[in-house]
Order: sequence, then C-alpha cells, then structure tokens
Amino acid sequence: MVNRVVLNNQIHRDVRIAATRPTRENAEVNAVSVIPREFPRLLAHYPIFFTKNMETGRFEPSALLGFQPQENLFFVDGRWDAAYVPLQIQRQPFSLIARRAEDSEGKPPSLDVALDLNQTVQSQEGERLFLEDGQPTKLLQGITSMLSVLVAGTKEAYAFTGRLAELSLIEPVQIDIEFVDGSDTKLQGLYWIAAAALKALPAAQLAELRDREFLEWMYFQMASVAHVSALVARKNRLLSGVTAARPGENRK
Amino acid sequence: MTQAEPRPVRKILIVGGGTAGWITAGVLASRYPRRGEEGISVTLVESTQQPPIGVGEGTWPTIRATLKQIGVTETDFLRECDASFKQGSQFVKWVDGSDGDAYYHPFTLPTGYEERNLAPYWLEDPRGQSFAAGMCFQTEVCSRALAPKQITTPEFTGLANYAYHLDAGKFGPFLRKHCIDKLGVRHLYDEIVRVESKDSGDISHVVTKGGEVLAADLYIDCSGFSSLLIGKHFGVPFLSKKDALFIDKAWAVQIPYPTDDAAIASATVATAQSSGWVWDIGLTTRRGVGYVFSSSYQSDEGALEELKSYLSVRGDLSRDLSFRKIDINSGYRQEFWIRNCVAVGLSAGFLEPLEASAIVMIELSAKSIANLLPSCLDGMRQAARLFNDTFRYRWERIVDFLKLHYVLSQRTDSRFWIDNRARESIPDSLRECLEYWRDHCPWHEDFPHREEVFSAASYQYILYGMGFQTYPAPWLLSDRDRNLAREKMNEAAQYAKTLAAGLPGNRDLLSKVRRYGLQKI
Repeated sequence: MVNRVVLNNQIHRDVRIAATRPTRENAEVNAVSVIPREFPRLLAHYPIFFTKNMETGRFEPSALLGFQPQENLFFVDGRWDAAYVPLQIQRQPFSLIARRAEDSEGKPPSLDVALDLNQTVQSQEGERLFLEDGQPTKLLQGITSMLSVLVAGTKEAYAFTGRLAELSLIEPVQIDIEFVDGSDTKLQGLYWIAAAALKALPAAQLAELRDREFLEWMYFQMASVAHVSALVARKNRLLSGVTAARPGENRK
Repeated sequence: MTQAEPRPVRKILIVGGGTAGWITAGVLASRYPRRGEEGISVTLVESTQQPPIGVGEGTWPTIRATLKQIGVTETDFLRECDASFKQGSQFVKWVDGSDGDAYYHPFTLPTGYEERNLAPYWLEDPRGQSFAAGMCFQTEVCSRALAPKQITTPEFTGLANYAYHLDAGKFGPFLRKHCIDKLGVRHLYDEIVRVESKDSGDISHVVTKGGEVLAADLYIDCSGFSSLLIGKHFGVPFLSKKDALFIDKAWAVQIPYPTDDAAIASATVATAQSSGWVWDIGLTTRRGVGYVFSSSYQSDEGALEELKSYLSVRGDLSRDLSFRKIDINSGYRQEFWIRNCVAVGLSAGFLEPLEASAIVMIELSAKSIANLLPSCLDGMRQAARLFNDTFRYRWERIVDFLKLHYVLSQRTDSRFWIDNRARESIPDSLRECLEYWRDHCPWHEDFPHREEVFSAASYQYILYGMGFQTYPAPWLLSDRDRNLAREKMNEAAQYAKTLAAGLPGNRDLLSKVRRYGLQKI
C-alpha cells in the first residue's frame, strides 16, 4: 500500500530520511522505467529495452534488472551493486503529485513533492528534509530537482517511443536464456529497435530522428543489449553460490 | 479469322455508399493498390438522398481481418465509430421462457476444438455446467462484462476471440474517408437515373442526375433495398424466406446510458418475446435496442408495448425515447452476380438480424469478388457462376442456422413459437442435419465448404445451449478422448479464472483506448 502525503515544512519538519537508499521494498523489481537523459550513464551497466506501461499500453524505456518477478540482480546484500542507480529508484520514496485543480483554472496543474509514509525510510539517524527555519535542506533540494528532471524526461520518453511506434521502429523481441544450473527462461514483453526498419528508413525521417536526438537514443538502446549477457553472468554467479566479494568486506 | 483483343477488367464502379459499398471499396482498393493507368480503379457513387438503413450493428470476428486488410487502425476505428468489443451473443428466454433461462454463444471455439470433437464428453458428464460455460472460458469473461484484451495487447489481437458492436451511421463515413484519402478510391455524390445496356446484356454505362456518364467493366450493386442494378435493372427474382423465418418488422430505439461509466455488455443480448426477440447492443455512447417480430402474430402496437415493457424492467423507459419502425423482408436474390454486375449487402439479401449475418456477408462477398476478379471480360461468366454457387450455399446455411434457434425452443406461450417448430417451416437440409445430430455431435465434415459462415462450433453452442440431446453410440467414444476432454475442461476453467482476474472491464478498456490508443505491436 502506498500512503502519499504532500510534504509540508510544518508537519514534516522533523522527518528524517534513512541515509542508505534504496531500500529493499523499492529495489525488488526486475525492471525500472528510465528516461533518455540517463541513457549515457545507464549504458555502463544496464540492458535497456522498451516495455509497455500496464496502465496505458504506451511504450517506455526500461532498464532490465532481473529475470524473475522481483528479482533485481543489481541489488545485492541490501546494497545497489552498480555505480549508477536509475532515477526512478533514486527518487524513492518521493514523488510529484498534481495540486488540486481548484486553484489552477485550466492551466497545467502545478506539482507538489509527496512522500510515501508507508515506506520504511524514516529514521532517527537519517538526514532531515527541512531546516529549523522551514527551508528545504540540500537533500530535499536535490530530490526536488531530480523529480522535475524525471517529469520532463518522462514526457520526452513518450514523445520518443510514440514517434518510434508510429514509424514502426519498435519490434517485440523474445530472449531465451539458459542458466548454468540448466534452468531456462523466456523473456517476454520486451521490445527493441527494429534494426532492419531503421536501415530502410527514408532520409527525411532519419534526419528528423537525428534532429530530435532520437537517433542517438536509439543507438544507446541497441548498444545496451550487450549487457544482457552480463546480467546472465550475475545470475549464474548467484546460482553457483559464488558471490563477488567486495574489497574490505568479510564474508562468513 | 481475326481474334478480338481480350478486354481487361480494370474499372470498377460501386453504386451505393453504405456499409456494403465502403467495405467493398476498401477491400478491393487495398487488395489492388492503384497503379496509375495500369492498375484497377475503383469509383464509388452514392446518393445523398438515401439515408443509411443503420441495421447490423453487430459483427463477426472476421471484421478484424477485414479492417486490417483495408488498412485502418483499430484505435481510429474504435474511437470514430463509437465501437465496443463484442464477444458473442447471449440468448435469454429462448429455451422455455422461464426465469434464469439464458445461454451464451461465445466467439471463442470450444476447448480442445483444434484437436478433437469433445462435445460428446461434455454431454456424458457436464459437471454441472452449461455447454458454453464448461467448454469455453469466454462465457465467464462475457458474464462479467470484461474486455477481450488488455491495454497492452496489440491492435486487432485478443486474449479471447472478439468482434465489435458499431454505429453503422458512423462506420460508412469512417471508411469513406480512409478509402478516398489513403486508397485512392474516386468518389462522387450523385444519383443514378439511367442504366444502359450493351447488346450482350452487359451494362455499358450508367447516367447520373448530374449528367455524368459512368462506364465500368464491373458494376457492384450496393444500393441497399432499392437494388438499383440487380433488382430494378436486371430483374433478378427475390427469393423470400418468410416461410422459415417469420420475422418481418422491427421497432428500434436508442437508449442513453444512465452514467458515463455504466458497464458496457460484452455480448449482444437477444431476449425472446411473444412473437420474436429483442436485441440489445451496447456501444460506447448509447445502447441500441429493438424488437424484431412477426406481423402475423403481433400488431405494431402490441409489439411496441412489449418493447416498452422490456425497457421498463431495467428502468430504461422514458418519455423522450423515439421509436422507429423498420420493415424486414427476409430473403435473397436468386442470383447475385449476373453478367458484369454483382450485388453486395442488402441489395443481395437480408435475413433477420439474429446472429448478425449482414456485415459478415458483405465482408465475404467483397473478399470473394477480390479473389474471383477476372483479368478479362471473358472470365466474367465463370466468376459469376462460382460466386453464385458459393453465395447461394451461404445464404441457405444462414437460413438453416437462424431457424435452428427457433426450432429447438420449447416455448409454448404463443403461436409464433409453436408454429416455428412446424415441420413444413423447417428447411429439409436443417431437418436432415437435426436427425443426424441425434447421435452425432456436429463436426467439420457436416459443413463441407472451405469458408462456412457458421462452423460446427456455432452449431454446438446453439444445440447444447438450447438443451438438444445427442446420444453418441458408446463404441464411438474412447477413454483417451474422455481424458482429453477432462483435461481441456480443467484448462478452460483455469484460464477463465486467470482472465477474470486480469482483464479490465469493457468500459474501462474502451475509455483507455480513447485516451491512449492501442499499440500496433
């Protein structure tokens, strides 16, 4: 259950947020929706595909994190095991919600930062959201700007995938994987760039994609698929009982 | 001896712009894309005087392939024609008229149908379930008014088989726009005032009120009940089927939804009355309801009262409803293709709206014309012969199938139902089948044509929904198939549960499609 409340510098003045995030409940997902602006950083670690939003059916770019529901192979021993964490994960437990329509009269509703109180993120030792005088802390300022990047980025992502779908440049892909223990899985519901359709695209449309930065993003997606085998390797290590030991960490 | 140059068939003139005209134009023009002077050209002339009849708001799942072929998107179609998803028909009070008397004819085939005829094993052990409920997961989906797909399901595909309910008044204009803008169909508003013949008897050209002379190699009569070419010009006789199908009139009315989020039924609901039945079709914007009845058994006023009482039970009766009377003349032409003219739609024939055969017959006709289209005029005769044989067979089978619904009823509350079971009103072909089905469950071999309008599956749903008993010889049953039947029925029950939990309501999905559209893949 989600219990979102709009942040208020009076009510939430003393709220402290755990320093180590993401928590298990945010992290246990096998895919996360991402935005094109983070593709360059995602490309270092994650396979990026397109998936359909369950509510709208629209395509959105997603980073693949695991092979089974709730399996996140980047979340190891309660910590995120990659240098870059996708923004949708980073932003938790905060989100933006539309302000009640009554005071906006036809204008796009303004957005408020909201906090999910049902997540176990509050802590005695954590960082504060507000200073004594009610001003937002550095942490909250950072979160607010991250959330606006996400809102703008999500809009961009849908413009991107919507155009690709119109041009039939997205196609379904099924990936069959066999793991070291002999078990196998079929990845379904994933889509990627239709490379053949891209090759055959008329020059005018190609130019349009280039001018809108879409072409660049498409190549990031295509290149990122190489990380599927790295993801399989992560799973294989788990299956064969080998955990990558981190420096300075003692294993029992 | 000189040999005449063979005359190619390149120019097609469609007369009439209702559902029949535009589906035919769309199918032909998409199948044979325009290639300047070299290719096929399709022209459609329609009168502004003839308002579309607006019958046939129900379709068959074939419509999905037809729309895809024509090249429209499902999203545009659903949005612009106020269309909703139809997953079959529900027949209420047809068996004996008692409370709770209702059964489904879903579009999805009975479980295991691809492998074997399992109907005998349902008969042997129905496990307390009706045929449709036990043998088909879709019955559960329909009874919950769920959609046949999710918002993530690609266009024109479903988790359960489906067709549409559509606003026929919007469907024609929707196809017209696509045919003109995308498929290069030439279009004019005008009226045909004269049809001129060659010595051979072929049509040489038609003359319009506006003074246009339109000449073509093939003329397609989609002029509706006025049957301008096939009837008025060629005088091809009309074969009435009133002896078997008694319905000859209808009262129709449009019912608004009480609220914007009212549920939309997933099936056409057909409720039996004293002298016919009431159709109830949910579009996104309104319901279409009507009572088709036989004037030999009920007066116009009496029928109107029955319809009003149907509406009042659900609280749908109000003062501002306007009831419209429609005449129905069940039957079809003795020939559909004569010389260089072929009739499609109401000009070819119409049977009462039970099981929504009108639009599917248009689709089948358009497809057959596209397939049979001769390259030269010499081939016209053979194309006509093949077309006529096929379509005569199809109309006859539809008559049989519609009659089946009445013959099996046990209602005794009016002469209409009793007379419907009179031996002389039942076509021989149907009577022979019914005798055969006393010890054989309907199967593929009983319907020998390649593309049957109604397959053995449809006959199974009606026969066993109506409580018909088949007693197969025990030595024709096997344990292997018995086990398969059990397995398949369990699968169907399991899938019904999965879908009941995972499918959105019909209304929910249609609202989402309006907002977000469906993906092509």
